[in-house]
Amino acid sequence: MLKIDKAMDQVTYVSMALFAAIWIVLIAIIVSGAWHFVQTHGFVSSVASFQWDPLQSHFGIGSFIVGSITVTLLALVLAIPGSLALGVLGSRILQGKWQQQFVRFLTVFVSVPSVLYGWWGLTVVVPGIRRLSHTSGYGPLSASIVLALMIVPTFSILSLNALRHVPESYIEGSIGLGASEDQTLWHIILPAARPRIVQAALIAVARGLGETIAVQMVIGGQVRITSLLHPASTLTTQLLTDLPLLPVGVPGHHVLDFMALWLLILMTVIVWLQYRLRGSGT
Amino acid sequence: MITRGSQRGKMLKPTAQGRVGHFMLAGIALLTLTLLLSVIIPLIVQGAPWLNLAFVFRRPQELGSGGVGPEIVNTVVMVGITQFISLPLALLNAIYRVEYDHGSQFARWFDPGLQILLSLPTMIIGLIVVDVAIAHWHWPVSVGSGIVALSIINWPFSIALMVQVLRQIPDSWREASWALGASRWQTIIRLILPVAGADIIEQTGVAVARLMGETAALIYTAGLNVGKKFSLTAPGETLAVHLWYVRTEGLTAHADQEAAATGLVLLILVLMVLWGSQKMAQWMKA
Repeated sequence: MLKIDKAMDQVTYVSMALFAAIWIVLIAIIVSGAWHFVQTHGFVSSVASFQWDPLQSHFGIGSFIVGSITVTLLALVLAIPGSLALGVLGSRILQGKWQQQFVRFLTVFVSVPSVLYGWWGLTVVVPGIRRLSHTSGYGPLSASIVLALMIVPTFSILSLNALRHVPESYIEGSIGLGASEDQTLWHIILPAARPRIVQAALIAVARGLGETIAVQMVIGGQVRITSLLHPASTLTTQLLTDLPLLPVGVPGHHVLDFMALWLLILMTVIVWLQYRLRGSGT
Repeated sequence: MITRGSQRGKMLKPTAQGRVGHFMLAGIALLTLTLLLSVIIPLIVQGAPWLNLAFVFRRPQELGSGGVGPEIVNTVVMVGITQFISLPLALLNAIYRVEYDHGSQFARWFDPGLQILLSLPTMIIGLIVVDVAIAHWHWPVSVGSGIVALSIINWPFSIALMVQVLRQIPDSWREASWALGASRWQTIIRLILPVAGADIIEQTGVAVARLMGETAALIYTAGLNVGKKFSLTAPGETLAVHLWYVRTEGLTAHADQEAAATGLVLLILVLMVLWGSQKMAQWMKA
């Protein structure tokens, strides 16, 4: 082995150790803050409570957890038809050079900053919902529409790749047996691509759950979730709005760490699910 | 399939009957594309009339009608310094993961861990930076704190991109290089990095575009206003934060147009970065 090789081995080890060390410290900060909170306020009593009133030291984050999960799942449901249709269009209807251009076009939308989707929500979605429902227009429904459109590019590129991975021989076999193009799509291609599409959906869910700014702009920011059409909050938006209200040192500050820990746990569950579901199908 | 229509002379004409589902899906897809475009078109319609040289170069003013000059500088400099810090580290990490570590116990923990860090809300990073750097170390709400937050956000993201780039190089090339007597590091320097160079630049463009749009983590670390002169310790509002602030809290008469114009500047910057990095990658490959 050369001398430079040995030195560069050490450099890569150190870079990896640095990465691991920094992230362990960062997560330890969140966990220790959350631990402080749990010790003073209790775990079950704060998760199951819907009462949020920092001045009276009521720290029930149940409403935010419900809000986060509702908004994300609704966004996923709204995004599924469009994303799958875009996936089919890009992989089975368009051919050759058009496919590449199509993917490139969608990739641009992945890079559009989320604050622009939030701007779109405020300018287009909120006034629209306001006119249709005679409410303020701010609420989980508007947030999920914005979020749905935001995750469509990611979701459709991933499902497009999933559809492309279906072996050509399956399709030729199906057509050869006399199935129509439609029958092949519904009964062969989509089922064969399902494990990868589920994985794509989970990645989209993770992106939606972690989105802060686009949701915050349209959800209205009330601390109690009542219906889809009335202002509510999610874990991430409440973190954003309460950070200046609960600065470091104030007794309630550690509830923010507790909420961050919840987001970390939800993300871990999503990633774990991705690995579980990937193992079951090929 | 629909496009086979153009080749009708050569092939049997497929029955339209069996493809109704495809037509319906194509319809839904076009509707979704229209919705996606509806994000950008109102932005151009509202923002373009407001956009002029004065807007791009002047300083923002309390009562509106200012520009976004310092915001553009902040965005570009902060993202640039962030890449300067985190990209070399991420590249080293990716080299370790792809070139050194082949399915050990470590990799089994590293891959899902990286996945979790990638999907972590950036707001959490903002919270930690406020907790530690600003509250505990008494750093000012400034460009510097913003760069720290951005670097932490970008690190795992860049690792994932670089791992993806390095994995595209076939193992047989590495084996050929080793068989010719090159050491592992010689292989990396002489073969892997030159081959991956174009893709590294293209993916860095993606990372830069993502950081330019970062908002949540910067609101409380880099702040909501700009300093008199650019410096690391002065408050450093970026374009995305400015757009958020003007559109949600802005009280001026022209807040809407100003927000749209800011968004347009941001979008143009992002597209320029994506386009530029792609062109550069193509030029390197040629």
